[in-house]
Parts: sequence; structure tokens; C-alpha cells
Amino acid sequence: MHILLQLLLILFLAKVFGEVVERAGFPSILGEIAAGVSLGLFLIRPDNDALIFLSELGAIFLLFTAGYKEINLQELKASSKVAFVPTISQVLVAFGSGFLIGSIFEFQFMTCLFIGVTFSVTSIGVSVRTLIDLDYLSKKVGSTMLASAILDDLIGIFMLSVVVSIAADQQMPSGMHLLAIAARILCFIAVMVILGWKVFPVLFEYVHRMHVRESIFAFVIMTALFSAYLAEAFGLHAVIGAFIGGAALSSVPLAKIQEVQSKVDGISYGVFIPIFFAFIGLSVNSGSIAGAGILSVLVVVMALSGKLIGGFIGSKIVGFDSYDSLIFGVGVMPRAGVELVLLSIGRNMGIIDDQVFAAIVLMVAVSVLVTPVLLKFAIGFKERSEMLRE
Amino acid sequence: MVVDYTKVSVAEIMTRDVVTVTEDTTIDDILDLFGRHHYHSYPVVTDAGELVGTISEDIVLEILLFKQIPASRQTHLSVVRSLGDDARGIMMPYPVTVSVDASLSETADLMLKHHVYRVSVVDCGKLVGILSKRDIVKEICKRRD
Repeated sequence: MHILLQLLLILFLAKVFGEVVERAGFPSILGEIAAGVSLGLFLIRPDNDALIFLSELGAIFLLFTAGYKEINLQELKASSKVAFVPTISQVLVAFGSGFLIGSIFEFQFMTCLFIGVTFSVTSIGVSVRTLIDLDYLSKKVGSTMLASAILDDLIGIFMLSVVVSIAADQQMPSGMHLLAIAARILCFIAVMVILGWKVFPVLFEYVHRMHVRESIFAFVIMTALFSAYLAEAFGLHAVIGAFIGGAALSSVPLAKIQEVQSKVDGISYGVFIPIFFAFIGLSVNSGSIAGAGILSVLVVVMALSGKLIGGFIGSKIVGFDSYDSLIFGVGVMPRAGVELVLLSIGRNMGIIDDQVFAAIVLMVAVSVLVTPVLLKFAIGFKERSEMLRE
Repeated sequence: MVVDYTKVSVAEIMTRDVVTVTEDTTIDDILDLFGRHHYHSYPVVTDAGELVGTISEDIVLEILLFKQIPASRQTHLSVVRSLGDDARGIMMPYPVTVSVDASLSETADLMLKHHVYRVSVVDCGKLVGILSKRDIVKEICKRRD
């Protein structure tokens, strides 16, 4: 099939399925993945170079927009104070659960690490909706969950940087090796901080005076591509660079003009990101899910319970009661965007095989579907107990 | 006589008496401001007069109608803003500004290119005035007369 027709079908089905799922109360990402799965069953194979490249751009833009639009350094400071302990706890237990599954199935060390990292990240969008519906977002546990989500993403990105670097060198990490990786990450962050602090503000002052059309928008996109490329030059993955590049631009007023943000959103969420999620669906081999059997079940159970138990323990440590700790643990269970980026990187590097890939995609879908139900149950449980006490 | 607008500075035509809010201004007071005045946005300043953000009608609408907004548009930051109870919690940080010695023509160019209706005018980070498209049009009309 002609690549143009493939793109047309992917975008069309991703948007239509995304809309249906969104109206049913779930994130459109599920519809976009489902669009890819359906197209993969009948029409399109995920082996077209152009399609692979566009999906890689989708991953880059997903992380870039996260850094560019959602990072607020002041909020980050506040979040760190409130949510540090619960976040570390849920990330560690979830990582441990993932690593344990890999060990049980006797996967290679790198595969175990990657499964652990994909288990660690949270996308709480679906929980936030439920909290809003139940008027629970403004409660302390709701705001802690929000704070935890942003920290959680940062920790996930950091873990990915380390794991990708270890995987690229294809050897068991020694102490020196880990130090070298840490130095590379710190050097890259330092370069981006200097660019964001000193260079980008001046650069955009000139760019906004250019006469050619869409100069600011073009330079924002160039920053995404440059930071992704620079990260690769430092031995990190392009998506990590895109995220940090986005964050470096997040405090440059001329780069954050509302209209420019809308255009970046347009090209990201209108084109590249749906292609990325649909490509994830295309890459799921339906036979692999069935073949994975017990692995799929364990991945789903351990990934969800890892977050639940870790979140519960962490919240108890900082003084939440058992009911709120349960709500927190359930609220941090869903996975979506960043996890799938990590997963696709693992697959591209040959670390994650078809069965693990399919099992984790299934886990993402299950986590998004069951979390609202469990969250309503946990909040109802708390409210019933409060009524009984009164 | 043809007027060279590159030689007209924003300092000459900006509004100096600006209605501002401080970082601690409560949401209720901000809503009250929107009810009393006809401005589309308000600058947020520190006690020392430094500009730290703006609060626009878009933000206020987003907060007031938060539950009705389609979930796909409820981003992490917009959710955090919906929980804010003062100007610091809901403002858009890093606003676009022009310096006090910028020319009228370059400011108008910025507004036209990026559909910005009002820009804050700063001098060493401190807010010294506001310039809107209407101010520029009025000034140009006046000079044509």
C-alpha cells in the first residue's frame, strides 16, 4: 500500500477511534493504539521505513511537548517537597516488580532492567478525571498525586537515560561505567541549562525579528530536533534530549507565545503523536499476546500491584491514613504515554521481544481501563467508613 | 507628513497607570477585577514591582469552567492551575514583554505576527506600562490627524 494512503488511514482511524474512546471517558491514546492494532491485523505492516521514522518523531515530540508545555520549575520545587517520599516508594516497588518478573522468566539482565523501568512511570490523566468527577482533586491526596506524577516522569526519564546507556555499551555496568554514564547525563543537562538560561532567550530575541514566516515556530521545532540530536551525541537517547530541550525552552517567553504553543500542539498531537501510538498498536503481534499467556497476566498484576503497594507504603510513611494511602496507590496505577516511549525504545534496541512488548501494551490498556473503577471504589470505601464513624 | 514609527518609542504611548495584581491576590479579588474593568488580562507583579506573570480571560474561563472542558484539554498544568487559590497559583509565568525603549513599529509587528493583544512594558524587569493594539491604533490615528 502507498505510504500516503497508509498515513491517511492511520491518522483517520487514530482520530476516529480516539474520539470514541475519549467520549467513553478514557484517554484517546487507547483508541489510537486500537487503530494501529486493527490496521495491523488487516492492512498495514510496521516495516515501512518512513512510518518507523515518523513514529520515532512522534516519540520525540511527545517528550518535547511534555518538557516545553508542562514543566514549571516553581511547581516542581513545591512538588518535590510534598510528594518525594510517596513517589520514590511507588517507583522503587514498581521497578522491583518489573525486574522480578524478568528474573522469574529468566530474561537477560537488560530486559529485566527495561521491564522495571517501564513499570516505574505513571500517567495519571485518567485518575485526575475520576478525582475531578468525585470532587476529590482538591483534597490533599489529590494534589499529592498530581505532584507525584511530574516527579515520577522525571525519575522515569532519568532511569531511561541510565538503562539506554548501559544497553548501548552492551556490557554489565561496572562502578566506573555507571560514573561515566552519570557524567554524560550531567554534562548534557549542564549544556541544556546554559542554553536555556543564556543562549535561547537571546536567540529568540533575534528570531522574532526575522522577516520570514513562522520563524519562532520553526526555531522551537529546531530546538526539539537539535536537543534530540545532541543527546544522541552524548550517548543518550533522542527522546531524553527532546524532553530536556523542551524544559530548557519552557521559561523563554518568546518561545512560549500562546500561538506558537498551539502550532507545536497542532503538529505534535495532530500528526506525529497519533502516528506513534498507532505504530505501537501496529507493532503488537496479536499472536504474541495469546502466546505470552501467563507472562501477560503476571505483567498486568505485578505492574498494577507494584504501584498500589509502593504508593500505599509511601503515603503511609508521610502520614496519610490507610484510606487515603489506598486512594493514592490506586491513583498512580495507570500507565500511558512515556511508558510506551520507553517500551518502543526497548524494542528498537532489541532488548524487548514481541511477547514482552505485547504484554506491556496490554498492561497499559488494562491499567487505564481499571483505574477509574478501582479509584471510585477506594473513594467510596473511605466515604462509607467516615459515615459509619459519624 | 509621513511618521516614522520606528522612531516612536513605546514609552511615549503606553498606559502608565496599570491595574495589576500581586502574587498573593486571591481568586475572588481577581474575578472582581475582571467584573469591574474591561481589560483582557492583568499583569502579576511582586511587591517590588517586578513582572512575574499574567492572568488572562482565557485562564479565568478555564478555571471557572474546568469541569466542563473536554478531558483531552485538561493538561497537567491546567489541572494544577484549577487548584490554585491566588494569582501565583493560576498565572501564566514568563509573559511576553517589550522593553521601554522598543519602537512602536516593532511592538506592533510582534502583536500582529503572534496575535498578542496587549504587551507589558518593562524596564530592568519592573513593570512600567502596558501597550495594547488599541493604544497603537489610537496613536497612529492621532498622528495622521
